[in-house]
Amino acid sequence: MPIRKVEIRLEDMLDELTTFYDAKVWHFLTVNGIDLGDGKIELQWIFSKYGVKDETVLFSAVTAYETKVPSVVSLIPSATLSEREIVDMFGVEIEGAAKGLYLDEDSLTMPLRCSL
Amino acid sequence: MIKAMMQAFTNLFKPVHTVKYPFEEDVVLPKDYRGLIEYSEDDCIFCDKCEKACPPKSIVFYQHPDGSKEYKYNAWLCIYCGECVRACPKPGEALWQSEKKPLSATKEQDVNNEWFVWQRAAAESRENHAAMKKAAKEKKRQEKES
Amino acid sequence: MKKVVNIPLGSQHISLLEPIRFQFTTENEKIIEVGADVGFVHRGIEKACSETFEWKKVGYVVARVCGLCAITHSLSYTLAVERLLGYEANERIKYLRMLMVELDRIHSHMLCLAHVSENAGFEAMFMQIMADRELVMDIQEAISGNRVQFDYIAIGGVNRDVTPELVNMIHKNLDELRPKIDDLMERFSNNWSLSLKYKGVGVLTLDEAYIYNALGPLARASGLKTDVRAESSDFPYEDVGYEMIFESSGDIYARNMVRLREIINSITMCENIIDNLPTGEIIEKVKGKPEGEVVVRVEAPRGELFYLVKGSRKNFLDRVRIKTPTFSAIPAMMEVFKGSEYADAPAILASFDPCMSCTAK
Ligand code: SF4
Ligand code: SF4
Repeated sequence: MPIRKVEIRLEDMLDELTTFYDAKVWHFLTVNGIDLGDGKIELQWIFSKYGVKDETVLFSAVTAYETKVPSVVSLIPSATLSEREIVDMFGVEIEGAAKGLYLDEDSLTMPLRCSL
Repeated sequence: MIKAMMQAFTNLFKPVHTVKYPFEEDVVLPKDYRGLIEYSEDDCIFCDKCEKACPPKSIVFYQHPDGSKEYKYNAWLCIYCGECVRACPKPGEALWQSEKKPLSATKEQDVNNEWFVWQRAAAESRENHAAMKKAAKEKKRQEKES
Repeated sequence: MKKVVNIPLGSQHISLLEPIRFQFTTENEKIIEVGADVGFVHRGIEKACSETFEWKKVGYVVARVCGLCAITHSLSYTLAVERLLGYEANERIKYLRMLMVELDRIHSHMLCLAHVSENAGFEAMFMQIMADRELVMDIQEAISGNRVQFDYIAIGGVNRDVTPELVNMIHKNLDELRPKIDDLMERFSNNWSLSLKYKGVGVLTLDEAYIYNALGPLARASGLKTDVRAESSDFPYEDVGYEMIFESSGDIYARNMVRLREIINSITMCENIIDNLPTGEIIEKVKGKPEGEVVVRVEAPRGELFYLVKGSRKNFLDRVRIKTPTFSAIPAMMEVFKGSEYADAPAILASFDPCMSCTAK
């Protein structure tokens, strides 16, 4: 499945997604994170189109771990769990997403960061 | 509604579908059921391919100082995937998948601990062997030089 | 007098198969607020995939995410890696893979229907469906050599071929199954405890389905026409008689009907696949190491399964991201609970067919 990858800056992410996302056209797949090393993480928001063959769009933004990431829940209500998963797995901070989906609330481990 | 009740009632007199497994062993296994892995030391060429291919690492070779290797297989760790047999250069002769069912282990057998001990010992034996080989090589070289 | 009561459902509850905890806030008998805790069976599989196991072995690891849809997990991973290696399977391999996925769908849907009837208090029906389900389980066991963990799909093909005896057996068992499903269809639409009781209960409207990104049978029961089998060109589904099945009312009854009709459709597809199996090799050598980033979607019994695999020519992959169907369906589930009676909660939950070991992976 060919993916259309759109590189955006994290600050513009919410605006970009607001103009892009239409609940009746796009199916929200998931939020994903990939550790790039050197304290950087690539965040991805992935969508696919209803009723069309092989159309997947991936928005990608590279950021440092310390940056606070805005949440897309106001736009896509079903993103809550995916965001919480990313928070747990990478220890990034996403607005309004609480830690403790899989790990303990006060756990200090960040399983998917390569350096740890 | 009445039909469903009728059927539920007739089902009462049908033969049971389940078997009392450990006491009653008439489970019919299909042909080519993926069961335990079996090994024949005489045909093995000790290439270690099976060990490398095994996902849960349930085949481990112990390296004796004289160069021979000892095979050990953990039937309870194995997932019966058959990767080892596909990796083996002599499938069917050195290594093959039988249709035997794995038996459950008892507490007395202490399979887990025994296996951990074996794994550690095997890893150690490898290291020792490699170190020994290296030392021998070094010695040879020195002898040559002098 | 209005009184707000908090009632937990789970993590251990008689209507649950796997641990999940819902926190219901109810007003009299109506649920007004729902919280869910899903992470009881987290096993760290994503981490294991990129740190403990080499890429060739990951297919066997991800198959253990879920016991019911093991085949779709290993299939999606294999498809992803094959695409990274630039390999496309031949027709015979595709057909054999499709056959296993459809058989898997039949038995998974039957399991769900069994639980729906069990939660309606219909124990006898549960037993009957589970017994009939053995027909499909036997086929799968005979094809792959194991009952639950099939380990059938390998990188570059499939591990075993179907023999003529197997073809006969598949025909025999499916022929036997078809009237039973027709019978079930009648039961589920005419029996009072399974149909009337369930009409209008646990409704997910079409708009809610869009907003909360419902998927799989849950979405199709609400009339949202989404199915990865129609939205990806990985498999020639159109050639084997696939048709999208959807209802419009979005209640438990509609979900049951979608599942039943999908079983019938899957049986037809399996028969077509078996009758028109193309010739060719069943496994081919694939060389190289995975490099790049790829997204794969496959329709699992409960909805869309998503894999993102990233590799960089190393023995270990950089990232394996798994998004399972139940994980994305939970927001929609929580929405359905709001506004329904607390007493209906177990029945509604069963009709979602949740798979917690998938969700927490
Ligand atoms: S069958 Fe699979 S798990 Fe068992 S020893 Fe062989 S490779 Fe290892
Ligand atoms: S792959 Fe076969 S020949 Fe090689 S060590 Fe294993 S059993 Fe022996």
